[in-house]
Formats: sequence, structure tokens, C-alpha cells
Amino acid sequence: MAADKIRLNPTEEELLEEEIQKHLFITPLDKLVDYLYNWGRKNSIWPLQFGLACCAIEMICTAASRYDIARFGAELFRASPRQADLMIVSGTVTKKMVPMIVRLYDQMPEPKYVISMGACATSGGPFKEGYNVVSGIDKFLPVDVYITGCPPTPQALLHALITLQDKISRQSVKTVRWYGKKRDAEIPVPLLGPDLIDVRRTDEIKEICARPAEPQPALPAIVPAFKITPSVPDGAAQAAVELSQRINEMVGAGTAVPAGETLVIQPSSIAKVGRYLKQQSGLELDYLSNLTCTDYQDCYEVVYHLYSTKKPGPAVCLKARVPKGDPRVPSLTPVWPGADFQEREVWDLYGVRFEGHPSLKRILLWEGFEGHPMRKDYLEAYYETSGKLFPSRWKEGRHQRAEERVPFADNVKYPAGFNPEGYREKEEIFKPVTSKSLDRLKTDTLVVNLGPQHPSTHGVFRMRIVLDGERIAALEPVMGYMHRNHEKIGERNTYIMNFPYTDRLDYICSMGNNLGYAITVEKMLGVKPPERAEYIRVIMAELTRVVNHFWAIGFLLNDLGAFFTPALYAIEERELILDLFEMASGSRMMCNYMRFGGVTEDLPEEFMPMAKTLVNDRLPKAIDGLDRYLTNNEILSGRCKGVGILPREAAVAFSAAGPVLRASGVSYDVRKAEPYSIYDRFDFHVPTFREGDVYARYKVRIAEMWESLKILKKALKEIPGGEAEPAKKLWNIRVPAGEAYGRVENPKGELGYYIVSDGTDHPYRYHVRAPSFINLTPLELMCKGQLVADVVAILGSIDIVLGETDR
Amino acid sequence: MKIYGLELLRGLSITMTRFIVSYTAGFKRTFSNRLRGQFRQDPLGKGIFTVQYPEEKLKAPERFRVLPVLIFDGREGDKWSQETERCTACGICAKVCPPQCIWIVQAKDASGKAVPKASEFTIDTDVCMNCGLCVEFCPFDAIKMDHSFEISTYERKESHIYDIDKLHVSTEYHAKIHPKAWAKEEAKKKADAEKKAAAAAAAALKKPAETKSNE
Repeated sequence: MAADKIRLNPTEEELLEEEIQKHLFITPLDKLVDYLYNWGRKNSIWPLQFGLACCAIEMICTAASRYDIARFGAELFRASPRQADLMIVSGTVTKKMVPMIVRLYDQMPEPKYVISMGACATSGGPFKEGYNVVSGIDKFLPVDVYITGCPPTPQALLHALITLQDKISRQSVKTVRWYGKKRDAEIPVPLLGPDLIDVRRTDEIKEICARPAEPQPALPAIVPAFKITPSVPDGAAQAAVELSQRINEMVGAGTAVPAGETLVIQPSSIAKVGRYLKQQSGLELDYLSNLTCTDYQDCYEVVYHLYSTKKPGPAVCLKARVPKGDPRVPSLTPVWPGADFQEREVWDLYGVRFEGHPSLKRILLWEGFEGHPMRKDYLEAYYETSGKLFPSRWKEGRHQRAEERVPFADNVKYPAGFNPEGYREKEEIFKPVTSKSLDRLKTDTLVVNLGPQHPSTHGVFRMRIVLDGERIAALEPVMGYMHRNHEKIGERNTYIMNFPYTDRLDYICSMGNNLGYAITVEKMLGVKPPERAEYIRVIMAELTRVVNHFWAIGFLLNDLGAFFTPALYAIEERELILDLFEMASGSRMMCNYMRFGGVTEDLPEEFMPMAKTLVNDRLPKAIDGLDRYLTNNEILSGRCKGVGILPREAAVAFSAAGPVLRASGVSYDVRKAEPYSIYDRFDFHVPTFREGDVYARYKVRIAEMWESLKILKKALKEIPGGEAEPAKKLWNIRVPAGEAYGRVENPKGELGYYIVSDGTDHPYRYHVRAPSFINLTPLELMCKGQLVADVVAILGSIDIVLGETDR
Repeated sequence: MKIYGLELLRGLSITMTRFIVSYTAGFKRTFSNRLRGQFRQDPLGKGIFTVQYPEEKLKAPERFRVLPVLIFDGREGDKWSQETERCTACGICAKVCPPQCIWIVQAKDASGKAVPKASEFTIDTDVCMNCGLCVEFCPFDAIKMDHSFEISTYERKESHIYDIDKLHVSTEYHAKIHPKAWAKEEAKKKADAEKKAAAAAAAALKKPAETKSNE
């Protein structure tokens, strides 16, 4: 009989079980066990402390006091995957980051769950078309709950958590996968080759690559570089003519040719011209604000924007036109070390070589990536047309996912004949480090990777640290884990479409980003917003500054080890200001509030009373609270004073901006140096401290909040009535051909936009000078010789946001 | 002599004060008629800051935006039809959509001629960035941003593609969640209609005069 029983086929077995359950007392007991088992698990979900992009900020807010995820037993965010049950994939999954995510998931023990938070994590979202974006985390991990939204509000995330709890409560201990005999195999970690390689699809990729190449879609129109026109002697153009004559006299005849308001320099003598302008010209152009490149039909044009921190005034713009065959230009790092990362970015995205650069290698993408993606002839896998609207969307717009029309059914492309079998990733190159003290001790340095998944790196930022004992011998920032192709997408967007994308740069300060973009394009359009709109813009920009500094200080304390308590109090104030943003624009974080020549919609009536109460009554108390309890706190000053010093000269040379620059004794603020909007009407200080350490940067932020409140009080009192919306609202606005560099003092520093228009409705070149990115250039200088524990504090004091660092 | 640890005690006192205030203010909130049911904390409010979601929900401001919905003239519970739908398939929303998540098929009548109605309208909510540009530039008030954020799902392939049936909501619903915008739209509509009527009346007056003079 026993033997018969074993031989029963599964259906009979099931029938038997049903029969037993009908007659015996097993059922309720069974249910009780399941109930208890699920009750325990669903009320103690420990999420992994892991955030990717904008959505992570909302995830942090969910854990803060207003939404309080602790009410669901899920407040224990674990830094180690071994202790976590839930992975909240909060934000854009990039190709560079996905190997780490898969690895983390593999390290999580069962039972484990995945919530895909936001449109990006679910399918690539608004960045789906980008060349470095994975079309949804479910291509690699099994997802339990999807929550759509961009970003989902904290309440929406809580709803997702409740949905997950519901799913858990319907599981049975008898059928769950982690007690079965057949365990799920680990998910193989994808490789970074010419593009992302999903090793499970090796054969498929090989087969498709062997096929004859499909005809390429038509390339976007590439215009020739703007002609060097005999300049009209007026204002800025006249200044350029005079400067070119001086340069030709001092550096050599024929070096500089004026082109409108800019100077076209012989590429080979760019370093000489730079040195002359910085040291001998009397202009004291000591600050290299922006360095980027544009792809034209006949050349690559490397663009430099120079300012003086001593003499306020407009930029001096230099251009070096290099031929397309083998583009090379001398590096400017010996003159301005701040050119370091920016030149690497141009090399990475455009393939222009900078001769004499200390370590010219890819910065946003990885070694081995095929192609230079910002070149106009680089077409992404999901490329449809060079400008939006995509013709597949309207009139006969039947829904089709981008995956369904590409050969690999995914956002990848490989060179013809590529064989992923046995592919080995290219190794990362780092500078070797030697230290004399180590030779004597007969020991070696230790390499530590902080990040890209680390709770204190403020996002997916990685620092490769070489340790000599406890001290830093070398540090190299590694970034690009959130590079979501803002500029490439921006060049396909129409001008108005870029507004919501700018929100997602520095997602703590979206209003400030909107303002910078609006101002730059307004320069080209020659429009001026009405008076009321100007005031609204200033109010929003200054509220943003307060929000940002609360956040920065809260998380600096977090980094110092005061885990979450100060941040909780800071987030509370931020929440109230976000209520104002939500009221006016409809979204807490992604405001998308400004337009060319105004704002989207006038303020709602309930805005002013609440703003006035906050600014006059609540925020002063809150800032005073921070100031009183923290500024003289012995632990804070003990950890911050004399740590991470950035000397004054270095701060300028490394193009540091914002609070980092001002904490090093340079009183430089774009609102004063080159006043935009109506900042010239407000009376405020530029708080400056000389020490250049973490403590000074903290104090600059506190002082700036007081100054912002001063501006806000005045603006709220004086705001006039009238229209706030632009006089003409156009969805397909065309911008006259030309170029502009506009900059604003964002809370993190100088945010600049460089836009080239060819007269169509989308920008020909769209570049963002990101303060978070450039402020990292002097990071090694600040950290060298410091203790490893202080690196976290130093990074916290720079205050970076990865959306802006990697763009 | 420096006494260490005072700062630590001072820090802890903040937490203690907050803890006590959460009770004193909490009592007030429970027993005051004015404050009951008000979940969005007042800027000068004290005590517990937490909103007890899902039992309590923050009241969304009118302009709050999550996903777009299409509007048809009717009441809640009605089914949309081509007569009541406001969309004319002009395509401006699709043209202005930054991540290009809107797909529209223009309707055709029996003879195959295009008519200003949408027969298919699809939004890929996995791509939508909730920016509201479609709403801002729609000339017919046919697309609006919804407030519903409780949209978590176990699956995305089917349920995240919103088709024209799923997207349509009534004007009644729209008026309920956007009372001020609705009042503004109606006032504008009325003014436009009056203007049109006045123009028509003026033309009508003029016409007989003209015909008379012709005679």
C-alpha cells in the first residue's frame, strides 16, 4: 500500500489532500499557522537602505515624521542586504548601476520582496529613451508591487506597502518558494560591455548580432558651426573685438578671432590664451565656470566660459574648433584644475581628446562603452526621430512599447558581429598610490570602495579610497551611476518640454532649476516676465534655498552619526514648504512651475497667508532652533572644525561654487555678481567665512537661510498684483538662432545652462553646468590626509545631489 | 573646568519637549471641534505631525497632479460616448508631452472620413512624468490631472496601459476635485457663449437690414 501511495500522480495526491482536509481538523490549524506566519512577516518588513534617484527622496520623507513608515513596522531601513526583506527600487535604474542592484538582490536572504517605485524603476519612465537607462527593473528582478507616479508621493508609497502586506497575507507557508526543494537560482549579474549584456540572453544577442545590419534611421540634421561674422561694434561684441586684438598682440597673431560676443581661438594655443587671460591680461579671469562641447557639421567646438571672482561682469567665452577626424585640444587643467571633470565629460560624451590631461578616461559611462553618445550621429536603441513629436504618437497612434519595435527587444545595441560569449569587462583604471611610510612598515595600502550603494553617499555616488592606515592616501570619485542622459534627451525635446526634465536635475531644488532654464531661454527670446511673476520667481527660488539648506544640514548631521533625529526635524520644516509648492504648482518635488515669460499659473489664494505665517513666524524659530542647538554643539564643532579644508586659492581654481566657495573666503554670489531676475532690488549679504572647513560650510548655510528669509519677507510684502502668466503661451515656441549661457545661484552653487539654437523648436545643444558635479573636483584635495570617518562628513558638507552630478 | 555632556543633555531635552507637547497638543486636537478632522498640520501647529495614512489622508490641494484623465460631459457613473467626449484628437497633448506617453487615433465616420473625435487614446502610465503640460495646453479642457494616487498594482504589462475607457471621467468628477478651476472654466465658457450670442444677434440684425437694402 505504501508503495502505491508514493506512486500516486500529483493530481491524485492533490485530491487526496483535499479529501483529508475535508474530514480532519487540519484546515483551521493550517490557516492559523499561515495567519501567524504572515502576520509576523507583513508587520516587520525591513527595507534595504537603498535609494537610486528622485523617488528615494520621497522614500526618505515616507520614513520621516509626517508619514512615518514605522507605523507599518517597516522603519528599520537596513544598510546590509543580509538583514533586509524588501528592496524598494526607488528611481531610475541605469545600465551602470544595474549590476550592483542585481548583486544586492542576490545577497538578500529569502523571503525577499521588491517594490518598483516610480515610473523610472517600472519601465524607464521619462528617461526610457536614454542610452544609459534600463527599461524597468523587472527585466532583471521579480517585482512584487509596482507603484506608478513621478515620483509617487509618500502616501502612494505607503499604499504600495499596504498592497505588499496584502500580498504577503495571502501566501501560505506550504507553497512559498523559499521552503520548497527547488530554490530559485541566483540572478546572474549583467556585464558592462559595449552596452549592457544580460548574460542569460548571450545566445540570442550573438544570433541577432550576426544578422546583417538593419538600415539605420535618418540622422538628425547637423548644422555647420556659426560663421565668424565681421562683428558689429556694439557692447559685448565690441569688447570681444578689443580682447581678440590684445590676445593676438600678446600670444601671437591670428590666435583669436572675434565671433559675435565670443572668441574663436586656435586650438593649439588655448592653454597659452588661458594662462594669459588668467594671469597677465588684467582681467583676472580666475574662474572657469563652464566647459563643454558642441557637435557641428564641420568641427567639434569646445566652449569655455570664464569669469572673475574679483571683478563682477559678463562671461568671456572662448571657443576652440577642432576638426572631426581626430579631435584633440590641449588640456586646461594646468591653468584651471577645475577643468578636470568637465574635460573628462567632454571626452566621454564627444570623444574629444584633451592632451596633457592627468587621467583622461570615461567619467559618466564605463570603459568599454561603444561610442560617444552626445555626438549627433550616435543614435540610441530606441531612437525614433531627431525631434519630438514622434510620428507614431498621433493620428494613427496605436500604443506600442519601445521594446516591441527594436531587434533586441530591449534598450541595448551592440556593434555588428559582437559575440558576448566569454566577454570580459574592461578593467577600471586608477592611479597607483605609493607612500613612503608604507615601505618602511613593509605593508600596503588598502583600497575601499564607498558606494555606489552606501547610506552616506547621498545617492549612487562612489568613492574609491586608498587608505594608509586610517588616513586617506588617495580618493577618486566615480560617478555616472545615475547618468540618465538629460542632455541627449534635452536636444530632442522642444524648449517647453525641458522644463519638467530640469526638475529632475537637482530634485531638492526644482524651482531653482526651472528659474535658471527660463532665464537662459528668455535671454534668447528677448522676453521679460511681468512684475508679479518676477516676485513669484524670487519667492520660489528663496524658499527652495531654505528647503535645500534644511535638508543639507539635516543630512550633514546624519553623516556625522546623529542618525536621523536632526534630519527628522529638518524634514518637518521642508514638508511645510513643500505644501506651498504643491499648492502653487501641483507637485511637491517636480514643480514644473516656470514658463518663458512668467509662471504656469498665478498663486492660489491660500498661498499668501500660509507663506507669510511660515516666513514670519515659523521658519525663523526653526532656523534659530538649528542654530542654537547645533552651532555651538561640542560634538558638531569637534567633528567639523579643521576638517576638509579647502584653501581660498584652490576653491577658485577648482571652480567650486556656492556655499563651498563662500566658506573658503570668496565672497562670490551670482545674485550679486551678475544679478538676474529682480535680485538687484533686494538688500542681502553674501555670508562668507574664511576657514574653508566643514564647519564653515555649515555656517554659510545657516547664514544663507537668514538672508533668504530677509529676501522672502520683503518679497512677500511688496509683491504687486497683476498678471503672472506669460503674455503668449505657446507649446511649440521657436527660439531665434544663436547661443546663450545663463546662470543662477542655486542653493548648491552656480547652475548654468548653455543653449545653442539653430532656429527650430528644439535646442541644437543643451548643456547643464551642474554645481554638484563640479564641486566634487576638489574632493580629493579636501580629503587627503583626513580620517576615513571624516570623508563622509566632507562629502555631506559639499551637499551633492546625484541627479545633477550625473545628469 | 569644562563639563562634558551638557550638549548631549540639551539635545535630548528637545526630544523630551516634543514628546510632552505631542500629548498636550494632542488632547487639544482630539477635543477641539475646529481642529478635528484636519490632517494637514497648520504651520503654527504643535504636537504630532504624523498623518495616520490610510485612516487619515492629507487633503490634496486642487492643483495636485498624478495621472491625466479625459473628460466627458456627464455625471459620475455615466459611460462616455463620442457625443459627450470633449477630446477632438487635435493632438496638442501628444505633441507637448515630454516623454511622449500619449497615443491618439483619430476617429473616422462610416465613410472613412476623419472626424474631430478620438477613437483610441492611450496613456502609458509607466512613462508619464506627471508634469501636466498636456492639461496646460489643451484648448478644449478635455484632459485634466487626476488626484488619485492609490494605484499600486501587482502587474504592469496590462494594467499600466490606460485606454480610452479607463481614462474617461465625468465633468461632475472633474468639478468635484477641481472646484475653482471648474468655476473658472464655466465662467469663461459662459462669457464666450454670450459673446458669440451677441455677435450672432448683431449679425442677425445687420442681415435683414442688408437684405432690405438689396431689395
